[in-house]
Amino acid sequence: MDTEKIITNLGENAHYCDIRTEHWERTAITLKDGLLEKVTHGEEEGAMVRVLYENGWGYTGTSNLENLNQAAQRALSMAKSNNKFKKEKTGLSDIEIYQEEVKIPMKEDITDVGPEEKIAFLEEINEILSKNFVTSIELRYEDSLVKKEILSSEGTHIRMEIPRVLVYLIITGKSDAIQRAREGIGGTKGYELTKEAYKRTGVVLERLEALLRAKTPPSGVMPLIMDSHLTGVFVHEAFGHAAEGDTVTSGSSCLEGKLGEKVATDTVTIKDDPTLDGYGSFPFDDEGTKARPRILVRNGVLNNYILDRESAYKLGLESNGGARAEDFRVKPLVRMSNTIMEPGAMTFEELLEGMDKGVYAQSSSGGEVSPAQGTFQFNAQVAYLIENGEITTPLRDVSFSGFTLDTLQNITGVTKDFYMGMGHCGKGQRAQVSDGGPHVLVSKVTVGGRA
Amino acid sequence: MNITESVKEALTHIEERGLQGDVYGVRKRTITYTIQKGELFDSSEFEDLGLGIRVVKNGRIGFGYCVPGAEEKGVSRAVELSRVSQLVDIPLPTAEMVPPVKVCDQKIVDEADGKGAELIQMLIDGAHSVKDDIVLPFGILSIITGKRVIGNTSGVFLEEESTALFSGVAAVISGERTSLYAEKIKCSRQFDIDFYQLGAEAAQKVDSMREKSAVVPGLPVIVCPDALAQLIGFAVIPSFLGENVRKGKSLYHEKVGHPVASDRLVITDDPTREWGLGSGKFDDEGCSSGETALIAGGILKNFLYDLKEGVKSGTESTGNGVRADFKTPPETESRNIVVRGQGHKRDSFFEGDAIYVDGVMGAHTANPVSGDFSVVANPAWLIQRGEKKGRLDGVMISGNFPELLKEIELADDYTKTFFDLNKFKADIPTARLKNVVVSG
Repeated sequence: MDTEKIITNLGENAHYCDIRTEHWERTAITLKDGLLEKVTHGEEEGAMVRVLYENGWGYTGTSNLENLNQAAQRALSMAKSNNKFKKEKTGLSDIEIYQEEVKIPMKEDITDVGPEEKIAFLEEINEILSKNFVTSIELRYEDSLVKKEILSSEGTHIRMEIPRVLVYLIITGKSDAIQRAREGIGGTKGYELTKEAYKRTGVVLERLEALLRAKTPPSGVMPLIMDSHLTGVFVHEAFGHAAEGDTVTSGSSCLEGKLGEKVATDTVTIKDDPTLDGYGSFPFDDEGTKARPRILVRNGVLNNYILDRESAYKLGLESNGGARAEDFRVKPLVRMSNTIMEPGAMTFEELLEGMDKGVYAQSSSGGEVSPAQGTFQFNAQVAYLIENGEITTPLRDVSFSGFTLDTLQNITGVTKDFYMGMGHCGKGQRAQVSDGGPHVLVSKVTVGGRA
Repeated sequence: MNITESVKEALTHIEERGLQGDVYGVRKRTITYTIQKGELFDSSEFEDLGLGIRVVKNGRIGFGYCVPGAEEKGVSRAVELSRVSQLVDIPLPTAEMVPPVKVCDQKIVDEADGKGAELIQMLIDGAHSVKDDIVLPFGILSIITGKRVIGNTSGVFLEEESTALFSGVAAVISGERTSLYAEKIKCSRQFDIDFYQLGAEAAQKVDSMREKSAVVPGLPVIVCPDALAQLIGFAVIPSFLGENVRKGKSLYHEKVGHPVASDRLVITDDPTREWGLGSGKFDDEGCSSGETALIAGGILKNFLYDLKEGVKSGTESTGNGVRADFKTPPETESRNIVVRGQGHKRDSFFEGDAIYVDGVMGAHTANPVSGDFSVVANPAWLIQRGEKKGRLDGVMISGNFPELLKEIELADDYTKTFFDLNKFKADIPTARLKNVVVSG
């Protein structure tokens, strides 16, 4: 039975339904210390059926498209059963209905480049990173091409082809302790992205060199300058998750009920924009809503949330295309895309002026956030002590934490430079994202060091 | 075609080409119910089926994956990739008696599916039984049933059915500036979770956070099993992986036979433990499971290897070839870590003054090579003269975990825990740590 017929039949018995069919082709290569560790390639396909019956949702996925009709009937049955338990009214905000086919262009098609060439690229990077202070090099290349079709009972019919390429550079060195630096380069584009990886080799080498000279950090409350990458991680982790519509409507966001309120200093403007050239870009979300920029904070005032159709309905707002699913195995959740803080007017030197003691932290090696409490913890890859307005000793294993809303109110300097990095966001599902911004001065945060 | 037949079909295609190799098949059915705002929100179901195919041609390994029905294409893809692969001669395991390990509870297979909505309602009722102002923003129940199959051209053909229930709920007391938040999560291979109690424990936890205390410096830090699993998993276990040892990226490099921890500390990887979250009668390469001592009596004993790393390190697999899913080839990982120590009564840790850490944020940012960590303790409480005082906000704990193992004290409340269902599982008790830097 074809997908359109299933949608028609289901639509007669449910209030809403959609089917998202996906075909994935992926390659992954790992080179360790110049030797090929892993090369994999495969294809898979499947579909997720989503049914709303009155106030009950049911989702059923299958990796066997011949079973799609059975999956659809099972999803309907689950939706009807769940409806019996639901007291809260459920609905979907209206969206413009599209029938469109979109292919993200690739200057160099990833499917035209063979594994030999991809391995040769990693070998060249390996050569560049082979310095006398580098004891180990791990390089990872991943690409994927997803062909996606979304059909809904409202008439949505989207076909998309989205390519993504990712390169990770991880290098290790040894002084009194073993240290590791890494850099990720990712984009929603073709094999041409690999050229950008060459440009980032200097950054990761510089970072490791600093780590090998680094001392353990002080602990306590002090001023912090975040570099562009770390600013991106801050706006993504500490702020962005709290701005996700499903977090807000479930009652677990520190931003709930604060639309229109001042949540940051005037210099802060934060947006999430899937139309930027980033790793988290897409033309339509996984409900068929056209992608658009979302200004979340404008000059310090909370302006919007990231919304899918259901969270928008509950908040009386309009969906802004925030629904993303990792693949056909899972339902869409509200997710970020490319999240950035807009640049300001200051120079980096101006941030340093008058600072007796502080920390300048670069890039991130991870973090965690509790959107309900509005607390966060991040780790910088490398940091430097700031003493009397000068950058001095390199520091390693620097963590810092704070309350998101306090920290946003403590941003006292935003520079005019800008860089956007890439990452993967975990919320039960993995999503490709970018984040970035300028250098930012926070007047006080808690630094957790060993000294 | 079912997964067993599909694995056999793929093996036939490998053998017909005169090659060696193995085929890993997985069938995994997951039914998930979620809670939002204190009521059942939705449910979803997915059955995943797939094959990971590894062939050895001219001493080179190729890996490809496919779904059942596309076995020939999957084998061709693996053969094609073997051309560009590294030269490693993997000794495929041969057929042997593999004793069963209890990992499948038929009650979950027979009864849990039809009871999902009822079970999640018990979770909600339990949480609502504590205080009226406690809300449940989200919660989850996943019922997982599945089967692993591994076959190779040396005669190994092993199958294992398994089950798991995974459930958790978050509880919140809303505040003006910040809300109080706590969660309780439990995972079991048996149909033995008391859902009402789990919900009530989440609500009681957040209820006990209403009062606030300030940090008192110099106190010992008591760490709950879930938090201890995260700290050990991220800051210590990487140093036991064979590849890190071979490459000098392990703190324990060249220290076998030397004291590295408290003389009462025992750390083993034991996938034969009954109902262990990471247990199973064979690893994902078809090697029989066994217990591997990592530290015993404080002395470093051994490291963990899969087939390929065993060859590279000049030793044998310890049965630690683990796959994240059928799409990825096996890598060396721990399977079911068991940590044992003095076996103190847990209550004895709470008799004096201490900081009690019931969760940590950011354990994955620990340095896997040096073991240095700096995480937010959340939630955490001040314990004074044996009494649980107020919560501690914004507290960070830092240190070097391998160093802390030298003075670690362990209780006897072994808990089956995990922090990534695909990666780290452990059976671990509450610990008391000295010399932790506390800031904030």
